[in-house]
Amino acid sequence: MASVAAAERVVVAPVVTHRPWWRGKLVQVASIVALMYVAYRIWALEYPWPNDLVWNTLSLHLDDFQIWLLTERGKEDQGLVFTVFEGFSTSIDRLVDWFTRLLLWMTWAGTTVAGVALVLRFGGLRVALLTLFAFASFALVGLWEESMQTLALMLLAVSLSLLVGIPLGIAAGRSQRVSRAITPVLDAMQIVPAFAYLLPVVILFSIGPAAAVVSTMIYAIPPAIRITALGIRGVPVNTVEAATSLGSTRGQLLRKVQLPLARRMILLGVNQTILFALSMVVIAGLIGGGGLGAVVTSGLYSNPALAILAGLVIVVMAMTLDRVTEAMADRTDPAKQHLDDSRRRRIRLQAAAAGTAVVVAIVLAKIFGAASVYPDEARGRTVTIEEWLLAKFQVVLDYIQDPFSFAFSITQPTGTFVFQQLLQPLQEFLVEMPWFVTVAGLTAIAFVISGLRPALTALLMLALIGFTGVWALAMDTLSQVLVATAIAAVIGVTLGVLAAESGAFSKAMRPVNDLLQTLPQLVYLIPFIYLVQVSVVPGIVAGALYAFPVTLRLVERGVRDVSPSSVEAASAFGASRLQTLVKVKLPLAGDAVMLGVNQAIVMVLAVVVIGGLVGSGGLGYEVAQGLVRGQFGQGVIASLAILALGIALDRVTQGTRSARREVLT
Amino acid sequence: MSDRGGRRFRRPIGLVAVAALTALALLTTGSAFGGGAQSCGTVVINEQSWAGSTANTYVAKYVLEKRLNCKVKLTQVTEGPPYFQAMRDGKVDAALEDWDNTLTTAGQTYIKDKSVRVVGSNGITGVIGWYIPRYLLKQYPQFKTWRGLKGKETVFKSPESGSQGMFLGGDPSYVQKDRALIKELGLNLKHVVAGAEPAQVARWSQLYKQKKPVLFYWYDPQYLNAQYDLVRVQLPKRFAGCVDDEKLSGKHACEYPSYGLDKLVSGKFATSGSPALKFVKKFKWTSADQNVVANLIAGKKLKPEKAAEQWVKANAAKVNAWLK
Repeated sequence: MASVAAAERVVVAPVVTHRPWWRGKLVQVASIVALMYVAYRIWALEYPWPNDLVWNTLSLHLDDFQIWLLTERGKEDQGLVFTVFEGFSTSIDRLVDWFTRLLLWMTWAGTTVAGVALVLRFGGLRVALLTLFAFASFALVGLWEESMQTLALMLLAVSLSLLVGIPLGIAAGRSQRVSRAITPVLDAMQIVPAFAYLLPVVILFSIGPAAAVVSTMIYAIPPAIRITALGIRGVPVNTVEAATSLGSTRGQLLRKVQLPLARRMILLGVNQTILFALSMVVIAGLIGGGGLGAVVTSGLYSNPALAILAGLVIVVMAMTLDRVTEAMADRTDPAKQHLDDSRRRRIRLQAAAAGTAVVVAIVLAKIFGAASVYPDEARGRTVTIEEWLLAKFQVVLDYIQDPFSFAFSITQPTGTFVFQQLLQPLQEFLVEMPWFVTVAGLTAIAFVISGLRPALTALLMLALIGFTGVWALAMDTLSQVLVATAIAAVIGVTLGVLAAESGAFSKAMRPVNDLLQTLPQLVYLIPFIYLVQVSVVPGIVAGALYAFPVTLRLVERGVRDVSPSSVEAASAFGASRLQTLVKVKLPLAGDAVMLGVNQAIVMVLAVVVIGGLVGSGGLGYEVAQGLVRGQFGQGVIASLAILALGIALDRVTQGTRSARREVLT
Repeated sequence: MSDRGGRRFRRPIGLVAVAALTALALLTTGSAFGGGAQSCGTVVINEQSWAGSTANTYVAKYVLEKRLNCKVKLTQVTEGPPYFQAMRDGKVDAALEDWDNTLTTAGQTYIKDKSVRVVGSNGITGVIGWYIPRYLLKQYPQFKTWRGLKGKETVFKSPESGSQGMFLGGDPSYVQKDRALIKELGLNLKHVVAGAEPAQVARWSQLYKQKKPVLFYWYDPQYLNAQYDLVRVQLPKRFAGCVDDEKLSGKHACEYPSYGLDKLVSGKFATSGSPALKFVKKFKWTSADQNVVANLIAGKKLKPEKAAEQWVKANAAKVNAWLK
């Protein structure tokens, strides 16, 4: 789904004549790393970041700021600012609350019929059946109320994200300056862990749906902006010029040319926004969003099988929303609409029939008292579907939690081996290296790969990390991020190429990607810890699994977008399929591959906090601790360090190609 | 953007249908929500993530609903400043188990402006400390106290701790000072963070099942203490000026204090005169009681409502005392 610019590609001769960009650079980077290693062997542990270069009171200042905010917010007569926030949060709270109550009032039967009818009308039969399955599963697994709370919350969060994101995306697509101005903000929104801003959000918007919606929006808006901008920019230049030369105003150009042509890309943005929003359900649950997120959290502590069940319901909801919006968009495509009178009449009849069905369903449900009885209970059977599923999950969990199982005898030694041979040495290498060697080395690598300006930015960011006093923690995190990114890149590139070559494989991967992007990570990581008893491994797995779908999608799109004429030319010269792939497609898709790696870093950093919750230590742990223990400053500093690390790594890996900033997730 | 000819014709029917539905919904919800407030009204209780808190909350909910005709709504706001703010804003009325979050600087802000009030203990004393499985005492009886650990730290060696013994740290959101303790007691232990509580449980319970040595941060009451036989290692006695927050400087080398777990109510609820307030003030039980209910929920996987019902029915006398 995610993709690089669909910009018109210049037809390139099938034989790549220029030297591959990495050949020289790879050697240079390797020599820098070798030099760093020598320095490490000589001076390990002798030069930690000097205490004189740390702003020690920063954390206290931030704590003071939090207390100030708390006090201001608590005052009887509040300033205009707080009144505005309060008005906003009250109206969102009411809206979500009202919508949830409406869905619940309609009962599972009525809501299901209404949902299916609506989707049938605008999306078609296939997705209507999917909707039916989704609603039925919400009711059958006994999580109906929670599902409706989450659905109401997410529909609002997604709508608001799009309302803000699409116009901004259009602005960014039409103006380089706007684009350049908001890109760093978008990076920050994606990388800074939600745990860091939950507290200010709670203080400003209080607890409840509004706070949950705002936190979700912060994470879900960036893809809407980025992909929309990409779509607008992807409109062929000659089309725009043609329209302008025919006398279109800027407004006309936008409405009649750019928007219609960018339509598919914008819809892609809608889909990614949905997935990103749904990945925030658990975080939203922590600050009063309730619903499935809260079930996952409390389930993790007292009933892991229930957490898995609720997690899967979130995935089902995400996939259904995704497929439904896609189908609706497809149906309403102006290019495909040819309405004559008889079709119009038929549609009107269908709508009326659907409306009647909904009313009938609600009335019947009310009469039979379906509001309080769910289908799982109505059967009168001894074992409900919910219990049956939970029991099945429990069987799996019991096996996983048995240290004498066959699986454990394989996973545990493997995990230990990877940790001792790969992770620990790398961790020690980065943490114990003299700080100035690390700074110089990484800056030099950034210079070699990306050029002078990115190198300076990387230098600045690394200095910032040291200055805020979290150097060692950040280096610890860096080692894990590097490993997770490497794994994500290898998996993502391999599978991406496969998906580009085979349509069937691509189709098969899609649900897997959606699952990995929306299933709350802790749901599968906690069982994983039982199998691999080494702290940092689960965090790395989390990062790699969350990041590789993005790389996969980018690489797949990049390889597919390689101009067909190049491929044809290659085959005309007698190149085999493999040769075409290796010699033509991959080099020509080099940008997309690089972008895929680059985005993998952003995604890995976005789940550093999850790592902190499963034993990774480092910055993620600090952030997680900051929220609850009231150590606001500590959390913010660690989050800023994660961001700085992200920017530095981004600059190191972005490469010199100009197309690289056309990112989406 | 796709607003071409045909769509305009279609819209009215869809709109009318939605409008009709909405009107219907408003009518019915309006009447349904208007009638219920006889004596008690709605009480909002916050449930925290650990099983003990779920036990408190559902027992209170059951009694409030069945005996006092209250309507109880549960929220799951995370502890610390987030749920304090929820109380200040009147969105949460009560929380039944606070582990001294009120003593943090941020917590004190809410206590001072009376938007959060402590209304006594829930009867349970919380204990935090260093725990080992009891089977270890057979081979190493000296592990009863921290002095016995000295020189024997490598018993707890793991792939992650190198040449040292491994100490498994607690959930990042819990009070802890183990790094400082290890350093100040001069123990050859490596503090390994295990992450959130479920992740930490995954670590030590696997070692326990294999009857291997393990030393970790743990607490009581906790439902797992009924399933695993654990012993607390005695740390140096508390002394005046001993610091419990490892971020603060000073001497930390004393055992954790015991925590009287507090019930909290919001300022708004405290002045509401609701009959539920009286109940919350009187609600009090023991670690053993809580463990029974928590174990039904987390150990036996009973639905919390059912677990609460079972306990309430078996303990009528205790419940009646809360209602006097």
